[in-house]
Amino acid sequence: MLATRALRLVGKRALSTSICLRGGHGVAKVEDYTLPAYFDRRENPLPDIKFVQQLSPEQKSLKEKEKGSWAVLSKEEKIALYRISFKESFAEMEKGTGEWKSVVAGIFFFIGFTGLVVLWQRKYVYGDVPHTFDPEYKQKELQRMLDMRINPVEGFSAKWDYENNAWKK
Amino acid sequence: MAHPAQMGFQDAATPVMEELLHFHDHALMIVYLISTMVFYIIVAMVTTELTNKYILDSQEIEIMWTALPAIILVLIAMPSIRVLYLMDEINDPHLTIKAMGHQWYWSYEYTDYENLTFDSYMTPTQDLTPGQFRLLETDHRMVVPTDAPIRVLVSAEDVLHSWAVPSLGVKMDAVPGRLNQTAFIASRAGVFYGQCSEICGANHSFMPIVVEAVPLEHFEIWTAMMMEDV
Repeated sequence: MLATRALRLVGKRALSTSICLRGGHGVAKVEDYTLPAYFDRRENPLPDIKFVQQLSPEQKSLKEKEKGSWAVLSKEEKIALYRISFKESFAEMEKGTGEWKSVVAGIFFFIGFTGLVVLWQRKYVYGDVPHTFDPEYKQKELQRMLDMRINPVEGFSAKWDYENNAWKK
Repeated sequence: MAHPAQMGFQDAATPVMEELLHFHDHALMIVYLISTMVFYIIVAMVTTELTNKYILDSQEIEIMWTALPAIILVLIAMPSIRVLYLMDEINDPHLTIKAMGHQWYWSYEYTDYENLTFDSYMTPTQDLTPGQFRLLETDHRMVVPTDAPIRVLVSAEDVLHSWAVPSLGVKMDAVPGRLNQTAFIASRAGVFYGQCSEICGANHSFMPIVVEAVPLEHFEIWTAMMMEDV
């Protein structure tokens, strides 16, 4: 019983099985398998449907006025018509949110916090480095590497001037 | 060995390592070119002012970005296969050395003529003489003659190890019960360091390899001296 009553509404086109009819005005044919939706996107300037679907009485009368000559429309009326079709203007769309500032601030904060953790670890957790890190030891190591001609082709010893006992300029 | 903060390869001591170096330069340059191009395209797409970005048909560019990568891959594959086959060349070695991995030291056997066998333990940090390299020095080095093809048979006595010396362009896994062969020709005299390259327990980081390449006369003197000591 209920089903036949519902189906009869479909016949009268009061209930539509296609979303394209319900829109009333300004519904584009949708290419992909989605319902028509409104979106503000720069690379797709014309959304599937208008932004305002339920028009208020003033907007309805404005829409009637639009059917006449556009030259008599005032600037505010033109803007009002634009705002019926679109939510944000291109300028508003492009503006950006400034969210990046919060993100960068968060990054710096956590890098700084990590630095504090590392300093604390070095003081309270880790022991001394081996004695081979002492400057005198490192000096001897360096000299030994040069004496052994470590990497003499293009690397380490290649950059040492053996005649003048100095790094090559 | 590497110098502090070294980023690239160590200088080659064998012809094979030299070829590997040059191939790496070649492949890395291609990688840099592709990465630069991709990065540029990403930046261009993100910062563009254009609104019509969805082109639906583009036969020419599709052909380009199918053919060009294929060509680039061929340009990478050709030198790669060349080096690979170079490494497998029959090289008629003058000397065969067995490098046996133990936990946690290497032992070397020169058994072609005499029976020379010795172990090579890492020099502990507190026993280093000033100037020696920490975690790299050993008590005995594997001495080889220069300009001679050397065959190294690598195996292990207990668990997996790996005998690796980057300057020589050599890395070969030491598998218990298996003999793996690798070969090299030391083209210049010098001391070349390497480290065990397969996790083998607590002291895996503390069983380095030191190869000393010397002219043949000095090699003969060294073997005579080692035979006396051992």
